[in-house]
Amino acid sequence: MEAMERQIRLTVNGQEHELTIRDNTLLLWLLRDDLKLVGTREGCGTGVCGACTVLLDGRPVNSCLTLAAQAAGHHVTTIEGLATNGRLHPVQEAYIEERGFQCAFCTSGFIMMTKALLDEIPNPSEEEVREYLSENICRCAGYPDILRAVQNASRKLAARGR
Amino acid sequence: MGFDLLEPRTVAEAVELHARDGNAVFLAGGTALLILQRQGLPLPRRLISLRGIPGLDEITAGPGGGLRIGALATLRQVERHPLVVRRVPLLAEALRQVANVRVRHTATLGGNLAHGDYRLDPPAPLLVLGAQVRAVGIGGEREIALAAFFRGLFETALQPGEVVTELAIPPTPPSGGTYLKYALSSNDWPCVGAAALVALDDHGRCREVRLALTAVAAAPVLVRGLDELARGEPVSDRLAARLADIAAAQVEPVGDQRGSEWYKREMARVFARRALLAAARRAEAGPVGDGTKEPVA
Ligand SMILES: Cc1cc2nc3c(=O)[nH]c(=O)nc-3n(C[C@H](O)[C@H](O)[C@H](O)COP(=O)(O)OP(=O)(O)OC[C@H]3O[C@@H](n4cnc5c(N)ncnc54)[C@H](O)[C@@H]3O)c2cc1C
Ligand code: FES
Ligand code: FES
Repeated sequence: MEAMERQIRLTVNGQEHELTIRDNTLLLWLLRDDLKLVGTREGCGTGVCGACTVLLDGRPVNSCLTLAAQAAGHHVTTIEGLATNGRLHPVQEAYIEERGFQCAFCTSGFIMMTKALLDEIPNPSEEEVREYLSENICRCAGYPDILRAVQNASRKLAARGR
Repeated sequence: MGFDLLEPRTVAEAVELHARDGNAVFLAGGTALLILQRQGLPLPRRLISLRGIPGLDEITAGPGGGLRIGALATLRQVERHPLVVRRVPLLAEALRQVANVRVRHTATLGGNLAHGDYRLDPPAPLLVLGAQVRAVGIGGEREIALAAFFRGLFETALQPGEVVTELAIPPTPPSGGTYLKYALSSNDWPCVGAAALVALDDHGRCREVRLALTAVAAAPVLVRGLDELARGEPVSDRLAARLADIAAAQVEPVGDQRGSEWYKREMARVFARRALLAAARRAEAGPVGDGTKEPVA
Protein backbone atom coordinates (compact mmCIF):
# COMPACT_ATOMS: atom_id res chain seq x y z
CA MET A 1 0.00 0.00 0.00
CA GLU A 2 1.40 3.36 -0.94
CA ALA A 3 1.00 6.39 1.25
CA MET A 4 -0.95 9.39 0.13
CA GLU A 5 0.94 12.19 -1.48
CA ARG A 6 0.64 15.76 -0.39
CA GLN A 7 1.99 19.15 -1.29
CA ILE A 8 3.85 20.91 1.46
CA ARG A 9 5.52 24.24 1.84
CA LEU A 10 8.39 24.66 4.22
CA THR A 11 11.32 26.98 4.67
CA VAL A 12 14.76 25.39 4.68
CA ASN A 13 17.74 27.59 5.46
CA GLY A 14 15.70 30.67 4.73
CA GLN A 15 14.48 29.49 1.36
CA GLU A 16 10.89 28.49 0.77
CA HIS A 17 10.21 25.18 -0.96
CA GLU A 18 7.07 23.64 -2.30
CA LEU A 19 7.36 19.89 -2.58
CA THR A 20 5.26 16.84 -3.20
CA ILE A 21 5.96 14.17 -0.60
CA ARG A 22 4.49 10.92 0.64
CA ASP A 23 2.89 11.14 4.05
CA ASN A 24 5.41 8.69 5.49
CA THR A 25 8.54 10.54 4.30
CA LEU A 26 10.91 11.38 7.12
CA LEU A 27 12.33 14.89 7.31
CA LEU A 28 15.79 13.34 7.05
CA TRP A 29 14.99 11.87 3.61
CA LEU A 30 13.33 15.02 2.38
CA LEU A 31 16.49 16.96 3.20
CA ARG A 32 18.94 14.43 1.79
CA ASP A 33 17.09 13.00 -1.21
CA ASP A 34 14.81 15.78 -2.37
CA LEU A 35 16.86 18.85 -1.44
CA LYS A 36 20.30 17.16 -1.69
CA LEU A 37 21.32 18.66 1.66
CA VAL A 38 23.50 15.72 2.56
CA GLY A 39 25.30 17.36 5.49
CA THR A 40 22.54 15.93 7.68
CA ARG A 41 23.50 12.31 8.29
CA GLU A 42 21.80 9.13 9.28
CA GLY A 43 23.55 7.16 12.00
CA CYS A 44 21.26 5.11 14.20
CA GLY A 45 17.88 6.09 12.76
CA THR A 46 16.36 5.77 16.25
CA GLY A 47 17.08 9.03 18.04
CA VAL A 48 20.21 8.07 19.97
CA CYS A 49 23.24 9.32 17.99
CA GLY A 50 22.46 12.91 16.97
CA ALA A 51 24.00 12.70 13.49
CA CYS A 52 20.67 13.74 11.95
CA THR A 53 20.13 16.83 14.16
CA VAL A 54 18.47 19.81 12.48
CA LEU A 55 16.74 22.85 13.96
CA LEU A 56 12.97 23.00 13.63
CA ASP A 57 11.90 26.57 14.43
CA GLY A 58 15.22 26.85 16.25
CA ARG A 59 14.78 23.75 18.42
CA PRO A 60 17.07 20.77 17.90
CA VAL A 61 15.25 17.63 16.75
CA ASN A 62 16.09 14.24 15.33
CA SER A 63 15.19 14.44 11.64
CA CYS A 64 15.18 10.63 11.67
CA LEU A 65 12.16 10.70 14.01
CA THR A 66 10.29 13.59 12.41
CA LEU A 67 7.86 13.29 9.53
CA ALA A 68 8.46 15.75 6.72
CA ALA A 69 4.76 16.56 6.94
CA GLN A 70 5.28 17.65 10.57
CA ALA A 71 7.71 20.30 9.31
CA ALA A 72 5.21 21.76 6.83
CA GLY A 73 4.78 25.46 7.44
CA HIS A 74 7.83 25.57 9.69
CA HIS A 75 11.45 26.68 9.46
CA VAL A 76 14.19 24.08 9.19
CA THR A 77 17.86 24.92 9.57
CA THR A 78 20.55 22.46 8.50
CA ILE A 79 24.33 22.65 8.65
CA GLU A 80 24.28 24.09 5.12
CA GLY A 81 22.31 27.07 6.42
CA LEU A 82 24.73 28.32 9.09
CA ALA A 83 27.25 30.19 6.97
CA THR A 84 26.24 33.69 5.86
CA ASN A 85 27.67 35.47 2.81
CA GLY A 86 30.35 32.86 2.47
CA ARG A 87 31.48 33.30 6.08
CA LEU A 88 31.34 30.33 8.41
CA HIS A 89 29.24 30.60 11.54
CA PRO A 90 31.27 31.17 14.74
CA VAL A 91 30.32 27.68 15.95
CA GLN A 92 31.76 26.19 12.76
CA GLU A 93 34.94 28.26 13.11
CA ALA A 94 35.31 27.09 16.70
CA TYR A 95 35.10 23.41 15.68
CA ILE A 96 37.82 23.99 13.06
CA GLU A 97 40.08 25.92 15.46
CA GLU A 98 39.82 23.25 18.15
CA ARG A 99 40.00 20.39 15.65
CA GLY A 100 36.68 19.14 17.02
CA PHE A 101 36.40 16.31 14.50
CA GLN A 102 38.32 13.54 12.78
CA CYS A 103 36.24 11.69 10.18
CA ALA A 104 33.50 14.34 10.66
CA PHE A 105 30.55 11.98 10.26
CA CYS A 106 29.06 13.26 13.53
CA THR A 107 30.14 16.87 13.13
CA SER A 108 27.12 18.48 11.54
CA GLY A 109 25.00 17.01 14.34
CA PHE A 110 27.36 18.31 17.01
CA ILE A 111 27.50 21.76 15.43
CA MET A 112 23.71 22.01 15.18
CA MET A 113 23.38 20.90 18.82
CA THR A 114 26.02 23.41 19.89
CA LYS A 115 24.18 26.19 18.08
CA ALA A 116 20.92 25.18 19.78
CA LEU A 117 22.62 24.91 23.18
CA LEU A 118 24.17 28.37 22.96
CA ASP A 119 20.89 29.88 21.76
CA GLU A 120 19.05 28.27 24.69
CA ILE A 121 21.74 28.71 27.36
CA PRO A 122 24.19 31.45 26.27
CA ASN A 123 26.81 30.79 28.92
CA PRO A 124 26.56 27.10 29.80
CA SER A 125 28.51 25.43 32.58
CA GLU A 126 30.57 22.41 31.63
CA GLU A 127 27.90 20.28 33.31
CA GLU A 128 25.21 21.83 31.08
CA VAL A 129 27.31 21.27 27.96
CA ARG A 130 27.85 17.64 28.87
CA GLU A 131 24.18 17.12 29.57
CA TYR A 132 23.05 18.78 26.34
CA LEU A 133 25.47 16.86 24.14
CA SER A 134 25.37 13.63 26.11
CA GLU A 135 23.64 11.61 23.43
CA ASN A 136 25.58 12.86 20.43
CA ILE A 137 27.87 10.02 19.54
CA CYS A 138 31.34 10.47 18.04
CA ARG A 139 32.86 7.14 17.08
CA CYS A 140 36.24 8.82 16.68
CA ALA A 141 35.75 9.83 20.30
CA GLY A 142 37.17 13.33 20.03
CA TYR A 143 35.08 14.47 22.98
CA PRO A 144 37.67 16.67 24.78
CA ASP A 145 38.24 18.63 21.56
CA ILE A 146 34.49 18.93 21.06
CA LEU A 147 34.06 20.32 24.59
CA ARG A 148 36.78 22.88 23.88
CA ALA A 149 35.06 23.80 20.63
CA VAL A 150 31.82 24.50 22.51
CA GLN A 151 33.60 26.73 25.02
CA ASN A 152 35.41 28.52 22.19
CA ALA A 153 32.12 29.02 20.33
CA SER A 154 30.50 30.39 23.47
CA ARG A 155 33.30 32.97 23.81
CA LYS A 156 33.11 33.90 20.13
CA LEU A 157 29.36 34.47 20.30
CA ALA A 158 29.70 36.52 23.49
CA ALA A 159 32.42 38.67 21.91
CA ARG A 160 30.28 39.21 18.84
CA GLY A 161 27.36 40.19 21.06
CA ARG A 162 25.57 37.16 19.56
CA MET B 1 4.10 0.41 4.55
CA GLY B 2 2.56 3.76 3.87
CA PHE B 3 0.12 5.71 5.93
CA ASP B 4 -2.00 8.78 5.57
CA LEU B 5 -1.72 11.67 7.94
CA LEU B 6 -4.85 13.51 8.96
CA GLU B 7 -4.55 16.94 10.53
CA PRO B 8 -7.59 18.02 12.51
CA ARG B 9 -7.73 21.58 13.87
CA THR B 10 -9.82 20.85 16.98
CA VAL B 11 -10.06 18.07 19.56
CA ALA B 12 -13.67 17.43 18.53
CA GLU B 13 -12.57 16.94 14.94
CA ALA B 14 -9.81 14.53 16.02
CA VAL B 15 -12.30 12.46 18.01
CA GLU B 16 -14.68 12.50 15.07
CA LEU B 17 -11.99 11.31 12.64
CA HIS B 18 -11.22 8.42 14.95
CA ALA B 19 -14.87 7.48 15.20
CA ARG B 20 -14.86 7.05 11.42
CA ASP B 21 -11.80 4.77 11.42
CA GLY B 22 -11.34 2.86 14.65
CA ASN B 23 -7.94 1.58 13.52
CA ALA B 24 -6.50 5.06 13.21
CA VAL B 25 -3.88 6.10 15.75
CA PHE B 26 -3.18 9.52 17.24
CA LEU B 27 0.21 11.05 16.57
CA ALA B 28 1.73 13.63 18.92
CA GLY B 29 5.54 14.06 18.87
CA GLY B 30 5.82 10.77 17.02
CA THR B 31 8.99 9.67 18.82
CA ALA B 32 7.45 6.41 20.04
CA LEU B 33 5.40 5.69 16.92
CA LEU B 34 8.14 6.35 14.37
CA ILE B 35 10.54 4.09 16.24
CA LEU B 36 7.98 1.30 16.10
CA GLN B 37 7.76 1.86 12.36
CA ARG B 38 11.55 1.74 12.10
CA GLN B 39 11.54 -1.52 13.98
CA GLY B 40 9.32 -2.93 11.29
CA LEU B 41 6.01 -2.83 13.14
CA PRO B 42 3.33 -1.84 10.69
CA LEU B 43 1.72 1.47 11.46
CA PRO B 44 -2.00 1.76 10.88
CA ARG B 45 -3.29 3.10 7.59
CA ARG B 46 -4.21 6.44 9.19
CA LEU B 47 -2.45 8.64 11.69
CA ILE B 48 -4.34 11.53 13.22
CA SER B 49 -1.85 14.25 14.08
CA LEU B 50 -2.70 16.28 17.18
CA ARG B 51 0.12 18.79 16.67
CA GLY B 52 -1.90 21.24 14.63
CA ILE B 53 -4.56 21.73 17.30
CA PRO B 54 -3.99 25.18 18.77
CA GLY B 55 -3.76 25.66 22.54
CA LEU B 56 -3.08 22.04 23.53
CA ASP B 57 0.46 22.78 24.67
CA GLU B 58 -0.21 25.48 27.24
CA ILE B 59 1.11 25.39 30.78
CA THR B 60 -0.87 27.45 33.29
CA ALA B 61 -1.29 27.88 37.02
CA GLY B 62 -4.12 25.80 38.46
CA PRO B 63 -6.88 27.28 40.59
CA GLY B 64 -5.67 27.61 44.20
CA GLY B 65 -2.19 26.28 43.41
CA GLY B 66 -0.95 23.41 41.33
CA LEU B 67 -0.83 23.60 37.56
CA ARG B 68 -2.27 22.44 34.29
CA ILE B 69 -0.12 21.12 31.52
CA GLY B 70 -1.49 20.71 28.00
CA ALA B 71 -1.00 17.19 26.63
CA LEU B 72 0.92 18.45 23.61
CA ALA B 73 3.52 20.35 25.65
CA THR B 74 6.93 18.85 24.92
CA LEU B 75 8.94 17.36 27.77
CA ARG B 76 11.52 20.13 27.26
CA GLN B 77 8.85 22.85 27.41
CA VAL B 78 7.61 21.41 30.70
CA GLU B 79 11.04 20.93 32.27
CA ARG B 80 12.05 24.55 31.52
CA HIS B 81 8.76 26.25 32.39
CA PRO B 82 9.17 28.63 35.36
CA LEU B 83 5.90 27.49 36.96
CA VAL B 84 7.03 23.87 36.85
CA VAL B 85 10.52 24.66 38.13
CA ARG B 86 9.02 26.66 41.02
CA ARG B 87 5.97 24.66 42.03
CA VAL B 88 6.90 21.08 41.15
CA PRO B 89 10.71 20.94 40.84
CA LEU B 90 10.42 17.18 41.26
CA LEU B 91 8.84 16.95 37.81
CA ALA B 92 11.50 19.13 36.17
CA GLU B 93 14.21 17.03 37.83
CA ALA B 94 12.69 13.83 36.43
CA LEU B 95 12.14 15.17 32.91
CA ARG B 96 15.76 16.30 32.69
CA GLN B 97 16.68 12.62 32.94
CA VAL B 98 14.54 11.42 30.03
CA ALA B 99 16.30 10.36 26.80
CA ASN B 100 18.20 13.32 25.29
CA VAL B 101 17.49 16.98 24.64
CA ARG B 102 16.41 16.34 21.02
CA VAL B 103 13.88 13.70 21.98
CA ARG B 104 12.60 15.94 24.78
CA HIS B 105 12.14 18.81 22.32
CA THR B 106 9.76 16.58 20.31
CA ALA B 107 8.17 14.08 22.70
CA THR B 108 5.01 15.29 24.41
CA LEU B 109 3.87 14.68 27.96
CA GLY B 110 0.49 13.35 26.79
CA GLY B 111 2.19 10.99 24.34
CA ASN B 112 4.48 9.77 27.07
CA LEU B 113 1.58 8.82 29.33
CA ALA B 114 -0.64 7.42 26.55
CA HIS B 115 2.22 5.26 25.27
CA GLY B 116 1.92 3.11 28.40
CA ASP B 117 5.44 1.64 28.23
CA TYR B 118 6.40 0.14 31.61
CA ARG B 119 9.77 1.90 31.68
CA LEU B 120 8.77 5.53 31.27
CA ASP B 121 10.21 8.01 33.78
CA PRO B 122 7.55 10.77 33.93
CA PRO B 123 4.77 8.59 35.36
CA ALA B 124 6.66 8.13 38.65
CA PRO B 125 6.89 11.82 39.65
CA LEU B 126 3.40 12.47 38.30
CA LEU B 127 1.99 9.64 40.42
CA VAL B 128 3.44 11.05 43.63
CA LEU B 129 2.15 14.48 42.64
CA GLY B 130 -1.37 13.02 42.38
CA ALA B 131 -1.88 14.12 38.76
CA GLN B 132 -5.21 13.80 36.97
CA VAL B 133 -5.51 13.06 33.25
CA ARG B 134 -8.19 14.87 31.30
CA ALA B 135 -9.40 13.03 28.22
CA VAL B 136 -12.00 13.72 25.56
CA GLY B 137 -13.78 10.99 23.62
CA ILE B 138 -16.90 10.52 21.61
CA GLY B 139 -18.89 10.34 24.87
CA GLY B 140 -17.52 13.63 26.19
CA GLU B 141 -14.83 14.69 28.63
CA ARG B 142 -13.68 12.92 31.79
CA GLU B 143 -10.92 13.04 34.39
CA ILE B 144 -8.92 9.98 35.28
CA ALA B 145 -6.67 9.84 38.33
CA LEU B 146 -3.21 8.89 37.12
CA ALA B 147 -3.19 6.21 39.83
CA ALA B 148 -6.01 4.49 37.93
CA PHE B 149 -4.63 5.28 34.47
CA PHE B 150 -1.92 2.65 34.00
CA ARG B 151 -3.43 -0.79 33.65
CA GLY B 152 -0.67 -3.03 32.36
CA LEU B 153 1.89 -3.45 29.62
CA PHE B 154 1.06 -0.78 27.01
CA GLU B 155 -2.42 -0.68 28.47
CA THR B 156 -4.02 2.47 29.86
CA ALA B 157 -7.50 3.45 30.98
CA LEU B 158 -8.01 5.39 27.74
CA GLN B 159 -10.87 4.15 25.60
CA PRO B 160 -10.12 3.75 21.90
CA GLY B 161 -10.45 7.17 20.32
CA GLU B 162 -10.00 9.15 23.53
CA VAL B 163 -7.59 12.08 23.30
CA VAL B 164 -5.59 13.16 26.34
CA THR B 165 -5.95 16.92 26.43
CA GLU B 166 -4.45 17.97 29.73
CA LEU B 167 -2.75 16.93 32.90
CA ALA B 168 -3.80 18.61 36.14
CA ILE B 169 -1.41 18.64 39.08
CA PRO B 170 -3.11 19.57 42.35
CA PRO B 171 -1.40 21.79 44.93
CA THR B 172 1.25 19.86 46.85
CA PRO B 173 1.70 20.16 50.61
CA PRO B 174 4.98 21.85 51.68
CA SER B 175 7.37 18.98 51.12
CA GLY B 176 10.62 17.77 49.65
CA GLY B 177 10.71 15.63 46.55
CA THR B 178 13.16 13.83 44.35
CA TYR B 179 13.39 11.47 41.39
CA LEU B 180 16.25 9.02 41.29
CA LYS B 181 16.87 7.19 38.05
CA TYR B 182 19.08 4.17 37.99
CA ALA B 183 20.16 3.51 34.40
CA LEU B 184 23.08 1.77 32.77
CA SER B 185 24.16 4.97 31.01
CA SER B 186 23.06 8.56 31.39
CA ASN B 187 20.58 8.59 28.49
CA ASP B 188 19.27 5.08 28.80
CA TRP B 189 15.84 3.93 29.83
CA PRO B 190 15.62 3.27 33.55
CA CYS B 191 16.46 -0.08 35.13
CA VAL B 192 14.55 1.39 38.08
CA GLY B 193 13.15 4.86 38.73
CA ALA B 194 11.99 6.08 42.14
CA ALA B 195 10.06 9.27 42.89
CA ALA B 196 9.49 10.30 46.50
CA LEU B 197 7.67 13.15 48.19
CA VAL B 198 7.97 13.68 51.94
CA ALA B 199 6.08 16.25 54.04
CA LEU B 200 7.24 16.84 57.61
CA ASP B 201 5.47 18.41 60.58
CA ASP B 202 6.94 21.19 62.74
CA HIS B 203 8.88 18.66 64.78
CA GLY B 204 10.48 17.09 61.74
CA ARG B 205 8.27 14.01 61.89
CA CYS B 206 6.63 12.49 58.85
CA ARG B 207 3.28 13.97 57.99
CA GLU B 208 2.94 12.31 54.60
CA VAL B 209 5.12 10.02 52.52
CA ARG B 210 4.53 9.24 48.85
CA LEU B 211 6.59 6.94 46.66
CA ALA B 212 6.24 5.68 43.10
CA LEU B 213 8.45 3.28 41.17
CA THR B 214 8.82 2.73 37.44
CA ALA B 215 10.27 -0.03 35.25
CA VAL B 216 9.69 -2.64 37.96
CA ALA B 217 6.25 -3.94 36.99
CA ALA B 218 4.05 -4.08 33.90
CA ALA B 219 2.87 -0.58 34.87
CA PRO B 220 4.29 2.11 37.18
CA VAL B 221 3.59 1.46 40.86
CA LEU B 222 2.25 3.98 43.38
CA VAL B 223 3.30 2.32 46.64
CA ARG B 224 0.50 1.91 49.15
CA GLY B 225 0.48 1.71 52.92
CA LEU B 226 3.51 3.88 53.73
CA ASP B 227 1.73 6.49 55.84
CA GLU B 228 0.45 3.89 58.31
CA LEU B 229 4.04 3.16 59.27
CA ALA B 230 5.58 6.58 58.74
CA ARG B 231 3.10 9.12 60.10
CA GLY B 232 4.41 10.80 63.23
CA GLU B 233 7.76 9.04 63.00
CA PRO B 234 11.06 10.90 62.77
CA VAL B 235 12.99 10.26 59.56
CA SER B 236 15.72 7.71 60.08
CA ASP B 237 17.70 5.19 58.07
CA ARG B 238 15.77 2.46 59.81
CA LEU B 239 12.37 3.93 58.91
CA ALA B 240 13.44 4.44 55.30
CA ALA B 241 14.64 0.84 55.10
CA ARG B 242 11.33 -0.47 56.45
CA LEU B 243 9.37 1.69 53.97
CA ALA B 244 11.60 0.46 51.15
CA ASP B 245 10.80 -3.13 52.13
CA ILE B 246 7.11 -2.35 51.79
CA ALA B 247 7.80 -0.92 48.34
CA ALA B 248 9.89 -3.91 47.24
CA ALA B 249 7.03 -6.23 48.21
CA GLN B 250 4.67 -4.34 45.89
CA VAL B 251 6.74 -4.45 42.70
CA GLU B 252 6.45 -7.26 40.18
CA PRO B 253 9.44 -6.80 37.92
CA VAL B 254 9.72 -8.29 34.49
CA GLY B 255 13.34 -9.05 33.75
CA ASP B 256 14.68 -7.09 30.78
CA GLN B 257 18.04 -6.07 29.27
CA ARG B 258 18.59 -3.77 32.22
CA GLY B 259 18.17 -6.28 35.00
CA SER B 260 16.71 -9.62 36.01
CA GLU B 261 13.56 -9.87 38.06
CA TRP B 262 15.58 -10.38 41.25
CA TYR B 263 18.00 -7.55 40.49
CA LYS B 264 15.25 -5.08 39.73
CA ARG B 265 13.44 -5.89 42.95
CA GLU B 266 16.61 -5.35 44.99
CA MET B 267 17.41 -2.13 43.14
CA ALA B 268 13.84 -0.98 43.70
CA ARG B 269 14.47 -1.46 47.42
CA VAL B 270 17.77 0.44 47.31
CA PHE B 271 16.47 3.34 45.24
CA ALA B 272 13.22 3.59 47.20
CA ARG B 273 15.24 4.00 50.39
CA ARG B 274 17.64 6.53 48.87
CA ALA B 275 14.80 8.53 47.30
CA LEU B 276 12.87 8.69 50.60
CA LEU B 277 15.93 9.89 52.51
CA ALA B 278 16.85 12.44 49.83
CA ALA B 279 13.28 13.79 49.74
CA ALA B 280 13.22 14.05 53.54
CA ARG B 281 16.51 15.97 53.52
CA ARG B 282 15.00 18.41 51.04
CA ALA B 283 11.89 18.75 53.17
CA GLU B 284 14.12 19.65 56.12
CA ALA B 285 16.26 22.06 54.12
CA GLY B 286 13.39 24.06 52.68
CA PRO B 287 10.09 22.61 51.54
CA VAL B 288 8.35 23.69 48.36
CA GLY B 289 4.68 23.45 47.58
CA ASP B 290 1.42 25.13 48.26
CA GLY B 291 1.51 27.33 51.35
CA THR B 292 5.25 27.96 51.13
CA LYS B 293 6.34 31.37 50.02
CA GLU B 294 7.03 31.49 46.31
CA PRO B 295 9.69 33.86 45.12
CA VAL B 296 8.10 36.62 43.09
CA ALA B 297 8.68 35.89 39.41
C1 LIG C 1 15.89 7.60 21.77
C2 LIG C 1 14.76 7.58 22.76
C3 LIG C 1 15.04 7.41 24.12
C4 LIG C 1 14.02 7.41 25.05
N1 LIG C 1 14.34 7.31 26.38
C5 LIG C 1 13.36 7.45 27.30
C6 LIG C 1 13.66 7.47 28.70
O1 LIG C 1 14.81 7.37 29.12
N2 LIG C 1 12.64 7.62 29.57
C7 LIG C 1 11.36 7.78 29.14
O2 LIG C 1 10.48 7.97 29.97
N3 LIG C 1 11.05 7.77 27.84
C8 LIG C 1 12.01 7.60 26.92
N4 LIG C 1 11.68 7.61 25.60
C9 LIG C 1 10.28 7.59 25.21
C10 LIG C 1 9.71 8.95 24.98
O3 LIG C 1 9.58 9.62 26.21
C11 LIG C 1 8.35 8.73 24.34
O4 LIG C 1 8.56 8.19 23.06
C12 LIG C 1 7.56 10.00 24.19
O5 LIG C 1 7.30 10.62 25.43
C13 LIG C 1 6.23 9.76 23.51
O6 LIG C 1 5.65 10.99 23.23
P1 LIG C 1 5.30 11.43 21.74
O7 LIG C 1 4.61 12.73 21.83
O8 LIG C 1 6.48 11.36 20.87
O9 LIG C 1 4.27 10.25 21.39
P2 LIG C 1 3.84 9.58 20.01
O10 LIG C 1 4.93 8.73 19.48
O11 LIG C 1 3.28 10.60 19.10
O12 LIG C 1 2.65 8.67 20.56
C14 LIG C 1 2.88 7.64 21.50
C15 LIG C 1 1.57 6.90 21.77
O13 LIG C 1 0.65 7.71 22.49
C16 LIG C 1 -0.54 7.96 21.74
N5 LIG C 1 -0.84 9.38 21.97
C17 LIG C 1 0.02 10.43 21.84
N6 LIG C 1 -0.55 11.57 22.25
C18 LIG C 1 -1.80 11.25 22.65
C19 LIG C 1 -2.89 12.02 23.20
N7 LIG C 1 -2.76 13.35 23.44
N8 LIG C 1 -4.03 11.38 23.48
C20 LIG C 1 -4.16 10.04 23.27
N9 LIG C 1 -3.17 9.26 22.77
C21 LIG C 1 -2.00 9.86 22.46
C22 LIG C 1 -0.19 7.61 20.31
O14 LIG C 1 -1.32 7.18 19.61
C23 LIG C 1 0.82 6.49 20.51
O15 LIG C 1 0.18 5.28 20.78
C24 LIG C 1 12.68 7.59 24.64
C25 LIG C 1 12.39 7.75 23.28
C26 LIG C 1 13.41 7.75 22.34
C27 LIG C 1 13.09 7.95 20.91
S1 FES D 1 20.15 9.13 12.98
FE1 FES D 1 18.77 10.34 14.08
S2 FES D 1 19.58 10.26 16.06
FE2 FES D 1 20.83 8.83 15.02
S1 FES E 1 34.61 12.70 14.10
FE1 FES E 1 34.32 10.68 13.43
S2 FES E 1 32.45 10.18 14.37
FE2 FES E 1 32.89 12.03 15.26
